Amino acid sequence: MGAGLAGTVLAPATGLVLFPLHEDVTSGGEEFVMVGDRAQFGVVPRRVEIFADRKDAWNRVTRVRIGAAFVAVKGGTLSAFSTVCPHLGCGIDFDEESSCFKCPCHRSSFDLEGAVTEGPAPRGLDALEIEDRDGSIAVMYQRFRQGVAQKELLG
Amino acid sequence: MSRLWAWVDSRTGLGDLWREAAGEPVPGGARARYVFGSVLTFLFMQQVVLGILLATYYSPSASDAWASTAYLQDQVTGGWFLRGLHHHGSSAMVVVVVLHMIQVVIAGAYRAPREFNWWIGLALGGLVLAFALTGYLLPWDQKGYWATQVATGIMGSVPGGGGMQQVLQGGVEYGNLTLTRFYAVHVFVLPLALGGLLVAHIYLFRRHGVTPPATLSEHELRQKTQPFMPYQLFLDVLAMTVTGGVLVALTVATHGADLYAPADPSSNFVARPEWYFLFLFQLLKYFEGPLQIIGTVLIPGGVATFLMALPFVDRSPSRAVSSRRRVLLMVGTLMAGVVALTAIAAVEDAQNEGYQEGQEMARANASRARELALEGVLPEGGSAVWRNDPAYEATVTFSERCAVCHAVDGVGGDEAPDLGAFSTRAWLVGAIRTPRTAAYFGGTKGHTDMEAYDEAALPNDQLDAVVEYLVRLRDEPEVMPWDEALAAQGAKLWEEELECSGCHEVNAGEGGGAPNFAGRGSVEWIARVIRNSAGPDLYEDSAEMPSFEGKLTDAEIEALAAYVHGLGLE
Repeated sequence: MGAGLAGTVLAPATGLVLFPLHEDVTSGGEEFVMVGDRAQFGVVPRRVEIFADRKDAWNRVTRVRIGAAFVAVKGGTLSAFSTVCPHLGCGIDFDEESSCFKCPCHRSSFDLEGAVTEGPAPRGLDALEIEDRDGSIAVMYQRFRQGVAQKELLG
Repeated sequence: MSRLWAWVDSRTGLGDLWREAAGEPVPGGARARYVFGSVLTFLFMQQVVLGILLATYYSPSASDAWASTAYLQDQVTGGWFLRGLHHHGSSAMVVVVVLHMIQVVIAGAYRAPREFNWWIGLALGGLVLAFALTGYLLPWDQKGYWATQVATGIMGSVPGGGGMQQVLQGGVEYGNLTLTRFYAVHVFVLPLALGGLLVAHIYLFRRHGVTPPATLSEHELRQKTQPFMPYQLFLDVLAMTVTGGVLVALTVATHGADLYAPADPSSNFVARPEWYFLFLFQLLKYFEGPLQIIGTVLIPGGVATFLMALPFVDRSPSRAVSSRRRVLLMVGTLMAGVVALTAIAAVEDAQNEGYQEGQEMARANASRARELALEGVLPEGGSAVWRNDPAYEATVTFSERCAVCHAVDGVGGDEAPDLGAFSTRAWLVGAIRTPRTAAYFGGTKGHTDMEAYDEAALPNDQLDAVVEYLVRLRDEPEVMPWDEALAAQGAKLWEEELECSGCHEVNAGEGGGAPNFAGRGSVEWIARVIRNSAGPDLYEDSAEMPSFEGKLTDAEIEALAAYVHGLGLE
């Protein structure tokens, strides 16, 4: 009887605690977002902020910064990398002097192709999907699991 | 009074309880090194009281957390002080936990029959760290947000930890549920757990008594035994007072705790944990790729296991320090390792220019954000505080009123010039060489009079001279100084060789069919264009841009002019 009584609370309590495992609590930015004109980008990666509408549990906010990306055009090829360090999630900087990406937290660094050249990062920078739409550049911002060798999409 | 007390006592037994507590014998007499447990209990009580006070202002949601903390910190009477005490109080707890542990290890108090109390003590120490970790995020400022990303990231990086991370942070990324969960853990789960274990800790402590020096014989111990009250109690209260005094002094000296700018997921903050986690932070730097689990889990887990196993690792026959050298050396080495890693982390940061610059920028952003927060923060979230900035307002006005025709760095309309680098030398060069392209006047109806000057008509060296002359006409030496010799050469060309002066006047006030270039590009000039671009010394009949005089306030026009002016200053 006691177990039944406890169960009537425990079962829903477990559901409540584990809710974020199977429901999308936060959403927004699952589409391509315009980040600028093609002419603005060159071989040197340029940092762009990604604005999107976002739903965060019970809140909905419009046009907020949900993240940032480094965009570059090299030999006609577009590339975009998330600024989130694949190691443990700090924000990456681009160091123009040494022409590489550097994490200010645990010393990981990455070359222009995003490959790890130094430090603890288990994989290279996460490439984001990028499109040229008649000269306007659009990026799809996504987040990936940190600290693992495989690039694994979150959500 | 005594009759009232007798009445209460007869019904509650409070007198017995007091006599038992106060009269507890301390074998070998009161000692200063027995104070740490009492100091920790005092600190915990103080943290609880301070925490309740902070909770009367704090609002745990992504939209409110930063703004409510900023309000408490900068506007509520005593807010900074109480929050500062709570913040430094957590540091004090970590320090005293370590001192307490060192005392227990040196005294050999982890040994039989006190093993359970040693384990409970370790669990309590772990809870103190969990308090620190969960509390760090709550202000939802840059520092807490980014440092905690690393902590939850570590959890997610271990096999099977992804789900745990998702449950703890309430989703795949940070948001409202991260705060409500951390808050619930910080203010309900951890205090209840710590309170419960503390009762068990004190109960077991009373059961086994203090661990007196092994050097004293049974006889000496009995002879020197003192009751807890007043001897040990006096030392305990003295230690609490000193600790409290240090905390108050520290809080006043630092003006409480830091509060950085609101959390911004698109920024790149130089994340650092609280000082007592620096050794763990430093450890993360040494293990690369698949080996990182060594730094994140295996070493810290190994150390925790070693400490748990200490009562069994120690096989020495007696509690005497002389017979336990090996165990003490092991614990000492661990402590030295922690101190060394902390020192290396601190030294590396002190020598890291990037970190110093990042810190400086973070502090500047923090003070600006908090200044703006005094006007109130929009309910969209902490980052909305930037919208209180007149400069931000100008960008909004620009996107609403101007971006239909004017682009900035290619983003926006193409019916009027791109203002991305307005009136820089490069812009002026482009306006002369290619005035009819979309970046300049190509999309502007009516602006067809200006001819493109190619290199044959105007060689590069002459072009540079003319541009330098235009910079001189702009007359803003503090933001755009010019080369006088080159400008003079340009002036000569302008007057004697080129046809520019046929349309463009250079003496203030005169009209000639095209904009007068006196002061062209200055904030004042830009503001005049915004007010009425059809003015007699501006674009006159060919003006395509609507007049904003009366549609925008003077303040809005000035902020907008300053914004456009600023675009050309980098």
